[in-house]
Amino acid sequence: MKFIEALIIDSSFNPSNHPNPSLWQENKHSYKIQFECMASNCSILIECEQTQLAKNAAKKAIIEAWRIEHKFSRYQANNTFSEIHSKTDITQILDQETAQLMVFANHAYHASEGLFDITSGILRKAWKFDGSDNLPQQSVINELLTNVGWTKLGWSPNNPTELKLPSGMELDFGGIGKEYAVDKMLSICRIILSKTSAAFLINCGGDLACNGRRLNGESWKVGIESINDQEKSKHIVALSSGALATSGDSRRFLFKDGIRYSHVLNPITGLAMIDAPRSVTVAAPTCINAGIISTLALLQGSDAESFLASLDMPYWLSN
Amino acid sequence: MADKDLEVVAVAVTKNTHKNRDLAQLLTAASCALIGGISPSVNAADSWDVDSAFLLYSESDGRVSAAEPVISATKNYDEETKLTFKIAADTLTGASPNGATPSDHVQTFTSPSGKGSYDAAAGEQPLDDTFKDTRIALSTNWSAPIDRDWAYGVGGYLSKEHDYQSLGVNGSLSRYLNQKNTTLTLGLNLSSDTVNPEGGVPTGLVQVPLNNSDSEFTQRTDSDNKSLVDAVFGITQIINRKTIMQFNYSLSTSSGYLTDPYKIISVIDDNAGTNFGGNFQSGSRDLYLYEKRPDSRLKQSIYWQTKYQFDNDDILDVSYRYMFDDWGINSHTIDAKYRIHFDNQYLEPQLRWYTQSKADFYHRYLNSSDYTNADFASADYRLGDLDTYTLGLKYGYKFADETEFYTRFSVYHQESSGDKGYGKLTSQELYPGLDAAMLIVGYKF
Repeated sequence: MKFIEALIIDSSFNPSNHPNPSLWQENKHSYKIQFECMASNCSILIECEQTQLAKNAAKKAIIEAWRIEHKFSRYQANNTFSEIHSKTDITQILDQETAQLMVFANHAYHASEGLFDITSGILRKAWKFDGSDNLPQQSVINELLTNVGWTKLGWSPNNPTELKLPSGMELDFGGIGKEYAVDKMLSICRIILSKTSAAFLINCGGDLACNGRRLNGESWKVGIESINDQEKSKHIVALSSGALATSGDSRRFLFKDGIRYSHVLNPITGLAMIDAPRSVTVAAPTCINAGIISTLALLQGSDAESFLASLDMPYWLSN
Repeated sequence: MADKDLEVVAVAVTKNTHKNRDLAQLLTAASCALIGGISPSVNAADSWDVDSAFLLYSESDGRVSAAEPVISATKNYDEETKLTFKIAADTLTGASPNGATPSDHVQTFTSPSGKGSYDAAAGEQPLDDTFKDTRIALSTNWSAPIDRDWAYGVGGYLSKEHDYQSLGVNGSLSRYLNQKNTTLTLGLNLSSDTVNPEGGVPTGLVQVPLNNSDSEFTQRTDSDNKSLVDAVFGITQIINRKTIMQFNYSLSTSSGYLTDPYKIISVIDDNAGTNFGGNFQSGSRDLYLYEKRPDSRLKQSIYWQTKYQFDNDDILDVSYRYMFDDWGINSHTIDAKYRIHFDNQYLEPQLRWYTQSKADFYHRYLNSSDYTNADFASADYRLGDLDTYTLGLKYGYKFADETEFYTRFSVYHQESSGDKGYGKLTSQELYPGLDAAMLIVGYKF
């Protein structure tokens, strides 16, 4: 692979001050654009005869990813996330995009019977997944649980742009943000490259989506990293359409008395899952769809495999 | 009581499955709504892939030439479900060795139909130049997954020549293991063939009559049958992202009329005297017998193939086959191909070597002193000691619209060997070599 150039993106579109993306050429009409986003190494693979168009699509897609990252980041001031949380206990008006994410989160909450809940992020204050054996006190968990619960929000799907956020509660879009960004990047590439014959795949740290087969008619060969890094074993998945997402606890866990506490938390009990698979990869039409199913699978604990098997969706497990 | 409990559990599981599927559908719909109506079947490759090719085959000395158009069409319903149709027609013209030895005098042979005759000059290979045939073959195959771990395939096959028909069905079952890195396959193929030779079915090891007024002709039946059962057990293993390996064991049993009705065998005079090593006379004619093979054959073979993809995308494909049967034949085949890519073109040199040891009943000729004791005999060079070499080069060009043109040229060399005979026969060339060339031109769209 040959380095071509850095893609210069105006700083006004780079609120988190990432390094500029780099453009690499793999073959005559095959490019790879590498960039950072949401603490992941990301890449866009584009097969297209028109270099300018490919560069343009990549730039626009990366700008979109950085926009989403900044907008919902918990670590930024002057963004949508901080603005929402600065207005508690009063009815505020959400922008369209946030409202749509709330609609999605609502579907996910009800479909999962409460297992997927974007208000559960604050449980992280009790659980520090640093590989140690420091389990939180039940009293601390109970205290936090009073501020967890989707139905405690002053929000209704009938008026999705209106929100009354009780103080102490937090909306964490991080659980779906990366997958959402992958899907949005794919949409942008689709639009910009619609006039030509092009194949592309977006990959953000293992969450990925493609527009279809490669130009030579072959499917994309995607390696799924096993979470058990020691073995370096990889599944090779042939992806010819749609998306893949992986949920897992990688190196984020606690270990006490022979029990491994996964960083996946049950929002109802506030407890860490102890018998979930180490990692679950799911294939679905969209990345956010794959992501929500893989997350829900982890939340099934030891029933993850039977849950996945009942869905008619391709999946790969690693224990 | 216990049954009742089981029923309750079964209902609970079914309900759970339905609930989970509903959940998945709901989330898929919600995801699509969020992302903006991305169709889940972005690339339902629901189209036909067609491969059309034309093959030309020509043996040296213009012995046999063949032309064969082949069209195959595959409909891909999804990654794993497909339907394939294939049609091939070939026309063979030319002359093929009839099995008799060359001789120091002109030999006259009765044509297969018994209606005429043909000659071979002194010292010439006796070739049956009435050999001409057109074959049409049709086949179809359907393969689809059963579930995540299982897949199946079923197919049918039909071919027709003016003196041969074949009808076959096949089925296969595959089991995926290790996240599809391992595939176990069991295949079964049944075929039923009918031979209706020109002039009827001759009686094996009986003298070839002068013409069809002979009682040997008038008592013949019109046709005979053969049936074939093949079973294949295979393992395909993905070794790593660059290497794939396959191992097959197959068992094939055929029964019925396995003889070639057009092949004959010379009887050579082994009485000391002036005709020692010459054609034996019977009824004041050179004696030729119709060949005769056993009515059953059990073949077993093992096959190993490895494909390796290099970092520059070149592909090495090496395979080896060992076959042995209860006719005493065993053979080895080594085949190697190397595909070199240049952008949208590729070149693929191929090397193939085949060696075979003869069948127990293969004889280049029979001896006058003991030919009546033979139970089976054939002088067909395809059952004798044989080595063949193939050298080929394939070139392909992929167009921007994903269609592909390809052509393959190969040369083929065959060498036979065996018993050199005695007396007069030793001055004859009993094992002529054969050279052939083949050209395939194809277009995939």
